[in-house]
Amino acid sequence: MGGDALLAARLGAGDDHALTEVFDRLATAVYDGAVRVLGDQSAAQDVVQDVFVELWSRPGRYDPAAGPLRAYLVMRARHRAVDLIRSELRRVARQEHSYRLALQEPGPSPHEEVMVSEAAIAVRAALGMLPESQRRIVELAYFGGLTCREAAKAAGIPEGTAKSRLRLALARLETVLDRQLLEPS
Amino acid sequence: MTAATGRGPALPAGLRERVLAASLRSRAAGRPFPPAPQITGAEAFRRAADAFHGMLLTLSAADWATPALRDLDVQGLVGHLTGVEEDMHLALARDVRVATVSHVESTQPAADRQAGRTAAQTRAEWRRAAGRTIDLVRVSGDPSAEIAVHGMRMPLELLLVARAFELWVHDSDIRRAVGLPPAAPDASTLSLMTSSVAGMLPLAAALTGVSEPTSVHLVLTGPGGGTWDLLIGDGSPDAPATTIVVDAVGFCQLVGNRAAPDELDLYITGDSGRAARVLAAASALALD
Repeated sequence: MGGDALLAARLGAGDDHALTEVFDRLATAVYDGAVRVLGDQSAAQDVVQDVFVELWSRPGRYDPAAGPLRAYLVMRARHRAVDLIRSELRRVARQEHSYRLALQEPGPSPHEEVMVSEAAIAVRAALGMLPESQRRIVELAYFGGLTCREAAKAAGIPEGTAKSRLRLALARLETVLDRQLLEPS
Repeated sequence: MTAATGRGPALPAGLRERVLAASLRSRAAGRPFPPAPQITGAEAFRRAADAFHGMLLTLSAADWATPALRDLDVQGLVGHLTGVEEDMHLALARDVRVATVSHVESTQPAADRQAGRTAAQTRAEWRRAAGRTIDLVRVSGDPSAEIAVHGMRMPLELLLVARAFELWVHDSDIRRAVGLPPAAPDASTLSLMTSSVAGMLPLAAALTGVSEPTSVHLVLTGPGGGTWDLLIGDGSPDAPATTIVVDAVGFCQLVGNRAAPDELDLYITGDSGRAARVLAAASALALD
């Protein structure tokens, strides 16, 4: 036994020296992978912590026969980063909904919320991969701060069509973000 | 601000310490994952006895006459174990006659009397003797009570783990003799065995004259394994810890004097000479 299989066995045995070895060897790749998806160094540090805590607390999830430890950890970092983006998307969507319910209350626009979010860069990139008709309605509804009815009117389409396109666009956004996991580091 | 850690671009300062600390909060160093369900020494002995009996039931008539250990054939070795159980019965009754007798010499009569018996008779006698040990422990066995037998004096809990270890070692002797595949103890039993043996390694080193102060980071991999930081010898170590990584079952074979260090798949960092002396000392714990 040697290499990653030995490291995996040592991690399973509770060998903290092995954990330190893995961190010193692979943390930079994990960090870089997270930064690439998130575009934010602070959030990427949280991802590095999540990935190594998971490796240490559930070492059996890594199977040396399935591939190198480096590839596994970078993949976990990307998964975690995309999870963060998804969660950010949902948070923004919830916030947008609450703005609609309290129109008279002044506050930061949904556009501002998204732009300051850690996920903004990745979301923008994913938006670019949507069909024009879907991207337009997402930009009007989320980045333009319009209600669905207002977005439909601005786009010159029925409100039902706008809602349908918005649903399709959000589903597609998640798929597009997932696909980033398959890209090489 | 950033700080260099190993190769590649720098990581943010403090990230390494933060991540390692968070990891060790989620699982303490030394604890294996998945953890083996905890059992008592009595349960470990019962399981080892059941496994040994199961193995005996698979043997052919010819197997029982196969040379197994020292000058004993399989039948004689099972007789030896009957003798060990009989001495255990006396020890549990606080009979001092078995406190310091030789493990081999004291049990030789039980091995010798198997001559002329059928395999079934030998097996049944051993089974009854092991069952009586289990019954005596169940009825009156305070796990913390010190029991003296065959030159050992230790709490009953630890003695029962040593007895489970002995049954597994002889199970392996018989398997090797008759060509059966080796069998490892279940993870819970093995975990008790490795914990007991790791804790006794400094004593084994002292018994064999290893006195140079050595810090050993012992990592036993696989089910029943774990990690221990041991101080061996007298005084404070003058060198960084020597790391020894070996499969838990292989380490138990070494301690049972059934494998030499060069027969094991070892991974060592640090002072290899010190590691070799510690590993050689491990077999001093064997009873034979």
